[in-house]
Amino acid sequence: MSSPVTVWRNHKNLHLYLGKEGKVITWTKVFVAPSGFEHEAPYFVAIIKFNDGKKMPLQLVDCEEKNLKPNQKFITVVRKLGKVKLDEVIEYGIKAKPL
Amino acid sequence: MKIKVAGVGLTKFGELWDKSLLDLAIEASIGAIKDSRIDKKAIDAIFVGNMLIGKIAGQDHLGPVVASSLGLSCASFRIEGACASGGLAVHLAIQGILAGTYKNVLVVGVEKMTDAPTGQITWALMGASSSKERKAGLTFPALYALITQAHMQKYGTTRKQLAAVSVKNHYHASLNKSAQYPFEITIEKVLNSNLISYPITLFDSSPITDGAAAVVLSSDTNSKGVYITGSATFSDTIDLAERDSLTEFKATKLACSEALSQAGVEIQDIRVAEVHDCFTIAEILAMEDLGFCPAGAGGKFVESRTTRLGGKCPVNTSGGLKACGHPVGATGVKQIIEITQQLKDSAGARQVKNANCGLTQNVGGTGATVVVHVLQN
Repeated sequence: MSSPVTVWRNHKNLHLYLGKEGKVITWTKVFVAPSGFEHEAPYFVAIIKFNDGKKMPLQLVDCEEKNLKPNQKFITVVRKLGKVKLDEVIEYGIKAKPL
Repeated sequence: MKIKVAGVGLTKFGELWDKSLLDLAIEASIGAIKDSRIDKKAIDAIFVGNMLIGKIAGQDHLGPVVASSLGLSCASFRIEGACASGGLAVHLAIQGILAGTYKNVLVVGVEKMTDAPTGQITWALMGASSSKERKAGLTFPALYALITQAHMQKYGTTRKQLAAVSVKNHYHASLNKSAQYPFEITIEKVLNSNLISYPITLFDSSPITDGAAAVVLSSDTNSKGVYITGSATFSDTIDLAERDSLTEFKATKLACSEALSQAGVEIQDIRVAEVHDCFTIAEILAMEDLGFCPAGAGGKFVESRTTRLGGKCPVNTSGGLKACGHPVGATGVKQIIEITQQLKDSAGARQVKNANCGLTQNVGGTGATVVVHVLQN
């Protein structure tokens, strides 16, 4: 996972991405997860197009396959990123949930 | 542009537990130098294509590692461009020759992947993605799954059409003794294999592979042989989400157009091609972006058997990344070797009849780097 100073720097910018609404352009369900995400598999990841036209890859939370229909709105939220050891700094990041 | 492929050398691709990265690089390099009949001392420079060894084994500074093991003191470079490292190394070696700096150059692509656990390899490969993609829990199978879903949604491409890519490439690999998986598979085998990232299954995916491939390139244009007549590379955004389109690789289109223009040929002149089928959707995109078929028609095009050995333009006669294997730094160089063998009429059971013009397409990441070469005899 990221070093403490990297986590500190990244956290300062989280507010820029919070509360943004958008729709799913394309999605996948990850069965074989990368290191740090194994405990969450399987999970959904999508590219979301926000109302301002910008696009971003985001992990989806509180989401089931039935939510992945056209025109379903999503909103960005703050959640813990991956899993860290007891003596590591917890990193938070942006994910998206159905609205 | 006319750069001679003077010699080629290739190791077996696979899980080669008894060989180190250096063993593989030297085996391929010596093979290429011997094949070229050029005195080793006449090699002016060495370009090593490699992506991962610094991350998984702590060995950087690979140029001199290979040069000194060959007993050479010439210029040496390590080139990194994700899975396009090999193709980029060939491209840069060509620039060195065209600039008049070098006459004879050894290019060796090499990767040693099976020494590390799969989780570490997956992490190391994700160095070719954006930080946003890593934070979203994406992997390369997942990134290509996003592309696959977009292509299916836009064009109606089916999982069966995707599976046809794997089936074809395994058939080609069954004729290639250097391939990691030299056996045939069925559509059902692909469709019923484990899901890695929906809708991509294990058999839609290229494997983790050890291997090396080397070529000697020369400024000699006075003898018969196979020549690289077009070489181009272009970039795109590292972050897939920032692209205007998720169903094409812009860098492939640009590199292909430039390489064909340099060679003075059209895509219809290409008789055999090696393209970057890291996942089945990637070969379908390549068919469309290179201009072998219209946008959206890649699935049907692959199903039509046009690209199978015996068809109008066989693609990935080596078995491709899927079945020949994908030692990432070596792949772009291996593609050059396969086309060279085809144009020299020395590809054995997988020989394409009347092959006189071929093309390679090597991709880094999700199309952030693409290198295209055109070869003619």
